[in-house]
Amino acid sequence: MNDEAPRVLRLFARFIPADLREPIAGDLHEEYLEMRERHGTGRARRWLWWQSLRLALTFRWERSAHGRPLPPIAEELRGFGHMWDGLRQDIAFGVRMLRRQPGFTTVAVFALALGIGATTAIFSVVDAVLWRPLPFPHAERVMSLAEQRPRESRWFGPIAPADFFDWQRDSRSFASMAAYMVESPSGAYNLTGDGEPERVRPLVVTSQLFDVIGVRPVLGRGFRAEEETVGRHHVVVLSDGLWRRRFGANPAAVGRTVAIDGRTFEIVGVMPAQFWWPSRPDIVVPLALDDHDRTLRAAHFLGAIGRLRDGVPEDRAREELRVIGMRLAQDFPAENANHAPNLRPLRDALVGDVRAMLLVVLGAVGFVLLIACANVATLLLARAAARQKEVSIRTAVGASRRRLVQQMLTESLVIAAAGGAAGVLLAAWSLSALRALLPARFAGLPGLDHLGIDVRVLTMSVVVSLATGLIFGGLPAFAASDERLAVSLNEESRSGTGSLKAKRLRAGLVVAELALSLVLLAGASLLVLSFNNLLNVSPGFQPAQLLTALVTLPGTRYDEHERVVAFFDAVFERLAAAPAIQRVGATTSLPFDGVDSRLNLTIEHRTEESAIPVRVHPRVVSNGYFQTMGIRLVRGREFTGHDAEGSGPVVVINEAAARRYWPNDNPIGQRISIGATDEWREIVGIVGDTRHEGLDADTDPAAYLPQHQRFDSLGAGFERAIALVIRTSGDAASVTALIRTAVSNVDRQVPIGLVRQMDDLIDDSIAPRRLNFVLVSAFALVALALTSAGLYGVMAYLVTQRTREIGVRMALGASRTQVLALVLREAGSMTALGIGVGVAVALGMTRFMATLLFGISAANPLVYLSMSLLLAFVALLAVAVPSSRATRVDPLSALRET
Amino acid sequence: MAASDVVNLGEFEHMVLLAIMRLGDDAYAVPVREEIVRCTGRDVSRGSIYITLDRLETKGYLRSRLADPTPERGGRAKRYYVLRPQAIDALKESRRALVALWRGLETVLS
Repeated sequence: MNDEAPRVLRLFARFIPADLREPIAGDLHEEYLEMRERHGTGRARRWLWWQSLRLALTFRWERSAHGRPLPPIAEELRGFGHMWDGLRQDIAFGVRMLRRQPGFTTVAVFALALGIGATTAIFSVVDAVLWRPLPFPHAERVMSLAEQRPRESRWFGPIAPADFFDWQRDSRSFASMAAYMVESPSGAYNLTGDGEPERVRPLVVTSQLFDVIGVRPVLGRGFRAEEETVGRHHVVVLSDGLWRRRFGANPAAVGRTVAIDGRTFEIVGVMPAQFWWPSRPDIVVPLALDDHDRTLRAAHFLGAIGRLRDGVPEDRAREELRVIGMRLAQDFPAENANHAPNLRPLRDALVGDVRAMLLVVLGAVGFVLLIACANVATLLLARAAARQKEVSIRTAVGASRRRLVQQMLTESLVIAAAGGAAGVLLAAWSLSALRALLPARFAGLPGLDHLGIDVRVLTMSVVVSLATGLIFGGLPAFAASDERLAVSLNEESRSGTGSLKAKRLRAGLVVAELALSLVLLAGASLLVLSFNNLLNVSPGFQPAQLLTALVTLPGTRYDEHERVVAFFDAVFERLAAAPAIQRVGATTSLPFDGVDSRLNLTIEHRTEESAIPVRVHPRVVSNGYFQTMGIRLVRGREFTGHDAEGSGPVVVINEAAARRYWPNDNPIGQRISIGATDEWREIVGIVGDTRHEGLDADTDPAAYLPQHQRFDSLGAGFERAIALVIRTSGDAASVTALIRTAVSNVDRQVPIGLVRQMDDLIDDSIAPRRLNFVLVSAFALVALALTSAGLYGVMAYLVTQRTREIGVRMALGASRTQVLALVLREAGSMTALGIGVGVAVALGMTRFMATLLFGISAANPLVYLSMSLLLAFVALLAVAVPSSRATRVDPLSALRET
Repeated sequence: MAASDVVNLGEFEHMVLLAIMRLGDDAYAVPVREEIVRCTGRDVSRGSIYITLDRLETKGYLRSRLADPTPERGGRAKRYYVLRPQAIDALKESRRALVALWRGLETVLS
């Protein structure tokens, strides 16, 4: 019979008095069989476990409550019973010992609380961002697709529509594939109708979205394939939040209509509350491309996700896409020669470069935990030495080595448990601060909403606490219980410093602490210097006192270029009149605010084939844009009121474009065309480079186009979504109100996006690095404090232990300087060794750091030198008190004491 | 046995003794518990049954014997319980005390 009942019963029988054991086990067995007959094995088994456990506890309790000795436990179980009793005794004894030494206990628990608390907090963030499954069924099969341009080192760029449809048609690895419009983070639609106009974040996506993510509307339906065609695409699926906010969670909302950017859309569904991809959209609308757009291969503006078929590994899908990409490159060499499909798991796409950063932080916190362990271990070693008499006595009266180790390990585990509990409290308390440090773009990640100490995190903390207890407690326990050590005790009180073994262990732990600290210090200072370098990067404009606000005009009423221009002119005019506003400008592509389109650039009279694709970022800007932003004019002129429709088409390029495409001649006066058009524009000016994607990103060639001249290469919608930039002299709040009034005075139906300060946009862009350096620096400081405390403890202990030896030396004529040298030599050699090992380890780890650094080499010698000196200085401080105490040893009393 | 010795028969002990009496020759822990559950409608934990049986035996109210092992019990024996005369006395005394206390109170509750 394949049955575990006998095993369970045997296991629990131990807790039942011997004379009752057999009938009780028999009764349970009998009832178990009946239970199995009636309710099946699973339930019967659970019942048996539960009943056995209850019985065992009942008898345990019965014995302790009544103080009546139960009949003796059978011989073969005596060992087990002893262990149980012994453990209880050990815990009680351990708690007593620890309470008797509040100083030691406080320091040890505090060190561990720091280590475990920091580890718990960071683990909970890393778990939420990197490891917890995304809230899709089989989320690991959902891939993010992209086009790569290896020659430009761009690996995950947007996709051209024709390429996407070819992949979708030809790929066999994917069960479904959906394309969506890549939007700038602040890009939004205007929702009008009943109530206030509202800006809503859209997800514009093909109908397969619901298959790919495996999440369907809870109410109504998703999109039909035919709704991807222009003219039939006026359907919308609402987010749960918008449905509740605007429709009071009324199920009858499905079937009603709303106005989005001035067009009427029918509500066909409502998404579940937990739908969040890719950044908590308010509405989902079909991506409808007309026949012309579907054939575009040179315009890259789509993102895509796909769900792998069951059993198809990521690599096979990648290989298949690679083959499709090569075929497309042959068929369409002009557009596709430099492009290839690429894919990665959706999670990687969401998390991106932050993974490396978080893992470095997790590594740093792990180091802190190790240092805390080493620290407590050195404390325990010192204490173990002080307890050697106790150990000797217990050994003499017959305690086994196992028993002694058990006792000491139990004490360590009690410390670890206290440290762990304090650490978890510390973590829970620090999480809100940590969340504030997280970059804004993480906001969409599920899990971060409920960032906290959950079962997973708690399990990790418990495991870490137990492991640390075993690590820091194990070594000293074995060392202290060593019989030879106990024997050597007798000699030791004469010779001074404990057995060689214990001494080496102590020194080894301090060296390890020093080494780990140096790695953290070096890493932290590299990150701090990187961050400082980043802050010193000029964005190419003056961000202070600059406000921005995104305005999107509805296509229905602003279908003509002239109307768009007239709207903005009217807004500029109203704003310029306000005394708190110095200058006003506008652009289609705001720095530090997401995507920037790219188009092919053709230079007149130039035919030679270039290895580097000739591309620019087209940015339509208003007349006052450069002055408002504070972008430097390098050559030629800015746009003026004369650059209007009807006058000669003009363009201003940035220095990066001038450097790359006209390295040896003057571009002013030359003519270029941008995108798939034969309209030639004359270059009238060169402006300074601006950082666009981040302070650490290179500046790409850009072409600025005057707002008053029509620019059609990116479609008519391009110029309708514009960011206003306003240089103020007053305070931001009053100007915000001014902007809102100005826009609504021109057109009440046009809402205005969040008004933000340019400084904040830049700040958001460096938030991941700030998080990185703040955390790693904090950990490095904690490490430094713990290490110096550890060094102090060990040196103080050594000096105390060697008081007699020092006394003898002084009695024999050693000077104070010689004594000082003696103590310092000991500390110095440990410090030197620790620093040496630390530098070696840190240098070995530079490759993990390289991607996180900016403008500094991971092997910068100055960093290592200064951090080594810092650590040496702190070490000197830590040993100063114990060594000065050594020099004040009175030879006579030292000799008398021992 | 003097009355003063038997008055400390607890309510649960009382029930267990009565259940054994009702079961006659077939009184071991499993049916004892079932009988109590059936008659009183209360859920009774197995642990309390075993502990009470053990206690009643120690007090001298019960005698027990081990029967032969059976396969459906995993080769383990049953422990059957029978009442000793002291138990009968104790039950009588308990009943007498309760009935005396109840006398004249029936109408109050109904």
